[in-house]
Amino acid sequence: MLTRRMLHIRVLAALAAGASWSPRAAGAATSGAATSGAIGPAERLWLDRLTYGATATEAARLSDLGRAAWLERQLSHPVSDPGLEERLAAARLRISYGAGSDEYGNRWRATDELRPLSWLKADPADLVPLQDWGPGKGMDYSERSRPAQEVIAASLIRAVHAEGQLREVMTQFWHDHFNVDSGKDETTTTTFPAYDATLRAHALGNFRVLLGDVARSPAMLYYLNNADSIASPANENYARELLELHTLGAGNYLNDRYSDWRAVPGAQDGLAEGYLDLDVYEVARAFTGWSVGDGRWLVEGEQAPRTGVFHYVARWHDPYQKRILGREFPPNRGPLADGEEVLDILARHPGTARFVCEKIARRLLADDPDPALVARLAQVFLAATEAPDQIAQVVRALVLSPEFDAPPTKLRRPFEVLAAILRAARAEVVSPEIVWHWELARAGWRQHEYGPPTGHPDRLAAWTGASSLNRLVDLALYALEDWWGTARLDLSPLAGPDETLRAFLARHAAGLSAAAADGIAAEIGGIYLGAEGLDGPAQALPDKKRHDAARMAMAFAALTPEFLFR
Amino acid sequence: MARDPILVVVFLRGGADGLALVAPSSDPDYLAARPEALRVLRKGDGAGRVLRQEVADVDFRFHPAAAAFADLFDAGDLSLIHAAGLPEATRSHFDAEARIERGLFGAAAPPGDPSGWIGRWVQAAAPGGPMPVLAVGAMRPASLLGADAAVAATLDDLILGPGHWLAPALRARLQAGFGEHGPLARPMSDLVGLSDMIGSRLWSGADADPRPYAPAVDYPEGNPVSRPLMTVAQTIKEDLGLRVATVDVPGWDTHVAQADTFARLTRQLSQALMAFWRDLGPLQQDVSLVVMSEFGRRLRSNTGAGTDHGRGNVMLVLGPQAKGERMLGRWPGLANEALEDGADLAVVTDYRAVLAEILTGHMRLADAAPVFPGFTPEPLGFWG
Repeated sequence: MLTRRMLHIRVLAALAAGASWSPRAAGAATSGAATSGAIGPAERLWLDRLTYGATATEAARLSDLGRAAWLERQLSHPVSDPGLEERLAAARLRISYGAGSDEYGNRWRATDELRPLSWLKADPADLVPLQDWGPGKGMDYSERSRPAQEVIAASLIRAVHAEGQLREVMTQFWHDHFNVDSGKDETTTTTFPAYDATLRAHALGNFRVLLGDVARSPAMLYYLNNADSIASPANENYARELLELHTLGAGNYLNDRYSDWRAVPGAQDGLAEGYLDLDVYEVARAFTGWSVGDGRWLVEGEQAPRTGVFHYVARWHDPYQKRILGREFPPNRGPLADGEEVLDILARHPGTARFVCEKIARRLLADDPDPALVARLAQVFLAATEAPDQIAQVVRALVLSPEFDAPPTKLRRPFEVLAAILRAARAEVVSPEIVWHWELARAGWRQHEYGPPTGHPDRLAAWTGASSLNRLVDLALYALEDWWGTARLDLSPLAGPDETLRAFLARHAAGLSAAAADGIAAEIGGIYLGAEGLDGPAQALPDKKRHDAARMAMAFAALTPEFLFR
Repeated sequence: MARDPILVVVFLRGGADGLALVAPSSDPDYLAARPEALRVLRKGDGAGRVLRQEVADVDFRFHPAAAAFADLFDAGDLSLIHAAGLPEATRSHFDAEARIERGLFGAAAPPGDPSGWIGRWVQAAAPGGPMPVLAVGAMRPASLLGADAAVAATLDDLILGPGHWLAPALRARLQAGFGEHGPLARPMSDLVGLSDMIGSRLWSGADADPRPYAPAVDYPEGNPVSRPLMTVAQTIKEDLGLRVATVDVPGWDTHVAQADTFARLTRQLSQALMAFWRDLGPLQQDVSLVVMSEFGRRLRSNTGAGTDHGRGNVMLVLGPQAKGERMLGRWPGLANEALEDGADLAVVTDYRAVLAEILTGHMRLADAAPVFPGFTPEPLGFWG
């Protein structure tokens, strides 16, 4: 019996072999040219893989620079982005709550105001008080959760407007790879701005540095409970996910195959190929004492400093000898030495190289990237373990590989759909509310609030449930309406005084789907305007009506295979 | 008219602490391994409800927040199977979940077969009806791989743009616009089909909104388990041919400060399940519900007043056919030599034995072998 899944696999295989079904027919309608600059479908696809959606500006830039130079510009784009900084400084996000009180007798007044995103760059020490409970420390929980809400609001502004698009794409990749549910409680909400900044700073940098900064990030230390890991017994939560999700991957978890560490291939030569529960227990011991400076009680009469950053508690550390992946750790070493060596071993492990490179290729290219390609990328990763641009080198090797010309098979995930629609519409994201965040949640996308430490799934099958697809329909309908207040946009301007209504509608549809543009123009004309007016001048329509017609054309174009696949 | 039997699978994600849910409260090894806050007590305000049936000379008690489970147990609707779990030792959430939901082990796992155990049940039982399988939520669990399933948090979520004037045009676009063979062609056509079917039942074009579900009893408010179970109850009552529904309940990974979190989660779960059960009324006859998790938790607590990943766990089976008020399977005890790896409650009952008995007993599947190939269950004695 041919199951549906098998059918899908066959279809994808046929696709890869260049068979007939293709969301981007090579002979796409020429009406796309006005929006996409002078680039063809292949360049357009390339942009869609490396950004949150091709725009006319980016298309023109690619056309000027060529692929290699465009890529280098993105890979070396600084973290700082003046245009984006300006937008983030101007952004306002509503905070609204009723009057309230708490069990300590604190009272607070009702609040409803548009506030700047002022926690995004705050000194972590200034955020510690948002974690305090007790007399004189009362506030509505909306104040405690505010820092993470600001990061969520900013994430859409960044995705749509950042010049360094590839850095944003990779920042989201690392958010899923090193997932933290910012909404867990006030410890994660208040430390999330710093965490977001850490991932962005190293998104194209060195993996060992990134791994180390994540290990010391209060958000991760709270989320996976290492902040509370005291010898002994240690808390194993972070240690397990460090091995399974952050470095070696579940494919190198060999617990069902070996019970004796000596039996694991490589272990007796000093580097086991994979890990057992025994390694998890030992790694957990290595990270005991890695905690947060949040004023926590350490021992009678002594509290941690209130810095809001990483704090090592030597007396919580288990100092005795350990054996991890076959390597012996001597007892009683200096502060942090055990944990740092674990990170050194893991960041340079071939299993980590394969796991991380496969995930990067899955993100940018295809659900099941060619193993030979992954092996080549892993070589690049391992050869560059000391390089400050290690991750950029892997991305470059992937993007410039012949495999990167494969036809589109990646389904845009809900956040990516929203960002791409807004980019194509040249919308100005203001996000005074994050209604979009709750709408995406109904599609399964919990921006920065995904509960399990796996991060969002990155395969097509996870996103094709009827309800998730139905939310994409809603997104297409509403992303272009004003009532979310998410974005400002005006789709009424004409390409020229003589632009026909047909060309006007096709131009907007083509921003998302060049192949379907002409058909959509006719369809919208028939539904909204009466087909007879299509070849008259668009100028004859009032601005508002023209804007609405363009909006519809874009909504329809968003619900095409050409747009939804990249 | 008797309906076809229905199975509801409630999965507690994160590894629920079975030793706190149904606790061997008098076991000296249990008393020695955990501080009071992580145990179920025998005396005082926080004492757990005792199971009336003595098992292995151990005073098993429900967690005090699980009073609703104790009521269901005493009413004869609930059976327990302790020390159940995966035959293969894994303490990774995602590895354990994948193995449990696939349900294929060792030589019986053909390479490249991605199907899940419910998916194989669908292939074996070939249920008819407009909506035989429902995954409540945004994501489809791996157990459903290999089967068509509606995936939605609420039935309303399956209606295409209700009230939106462009909905008919969008419907046509989704049906025609994704080609004959593209990977979205079938999912989009499924969406249109479900939307048409649900929409015609729940929503008359004259109303602004789809008809809301009116349960027979009030579900607890502010309880995250209520809404998903209401969706299941609504689907059953709407007579959509539902045979299997899955509900995920997250949050059970209690590595720190377990006591409060576990009590809250257990209260929410048990109270919402009680409401669901009462809401079903006479339809209880047709429903069996199993509560499971990927593993139990370590016997000994850690220094953060939490517990780490363990192995054996308790499974709950709710349903009048389950001849409840029994604790089935064998209790291995918590002495050091009885523990798996000297640390965790051992797995002495393969979780597949519980599911296989539900499939052959309640679901009236002739043979569970196609669902769990290579596995010969020893009957636990729920049915028959």
